Amino acid sequence: MGFLSRIRRMVSGQPPVEGGVDILAPVSGQLVSLENVPDKVFAEKIVGDGIAIEPSGKQLCAPISGTLAKIFENNHAFSIESPHGIELFVHFGVGTVELGGKGFTRLKEEGSQVEAGEPVIELDLKSIKQEIPCVLTPVVVANMEDIASMTQKTGSVTAGKDTIFTVTMQ
Amino acid sequence: MTAVHRQSLIIKARHGIHTRPGALFVKAAKGFEADIRLACDGKEANGKSLFKLQTLPLSCGAQVEIIASGQDAHQAVEALAALLSELE
Repeated sequence: MGFLSRIRRMVSGQPPVEGGVDILAPVSGQLVSLENVPDKVFAEKIVGDGIAIEPSGKQLCAPISGTLAKIFENNHAFSIESPHGIELFVHFGVGTVELGGKGFTRLKEEGSQVEAGEPVIELDLKSIKQEIPCVLTPVVVANMEDIASMTQKTGSVTAGKDTIFTVTMQ
Repeated sequence: MTAVHRQSLIIKARHGIHTRPGALFVKAAKGFEADIRLACDGKEANGKSLFKLQTLPLSCGAQVEIIASGQDAHQAVEALAALLSELE
């Protein structure tokens, strides 16, 4: 599949990616390992590999510049594809789909181009925390087959400013 | 042996095929050699990519068709149709 992503880049006129691509924090908070997320599709990396954030911020921002492929109906998650062909999922909390969108406001539309750090979803963290047991927010690369390596950070991060992990493409 | 197998069904999962059921479907689809595609509302996507799958409107009550081609296409369609109708 790395081969395919190289072909896609060639067709789209993108230059080969030199060095690593930094993925920024979509929300401010503390970085935690994906294994700590109490949902096996994230903990067992079925969705993809990445990191989770214990959020303290009030906005979900684009972790990378690209196209918003999907904003979930209930506005609790979105996916974005960068021009390098990195496919990322940002999923706020566990079991959040049950909230039916309560506490979330969509700021962008599906299909739009966004810059890294631009707010996509606004959230009422206080009220959401009262409704669901876990607000850990996984940020994962869905197409790990196109990724050669991933270097993760630790500690606290600020949305749209700090890197949470760096990937190099195949 | 590259016959195309298809099966249509209605999504019953209460919240549609969101991240968790979607990930489980993709994991199962990746277990087959066959090329797996899902068609919904006039759009088609690779059934082995959650990212692509999520661009389809797979909400509760939506009609979806599983299309498989390749060696184990028949088994793939049967197994994935059963899984998709069970997912919550």
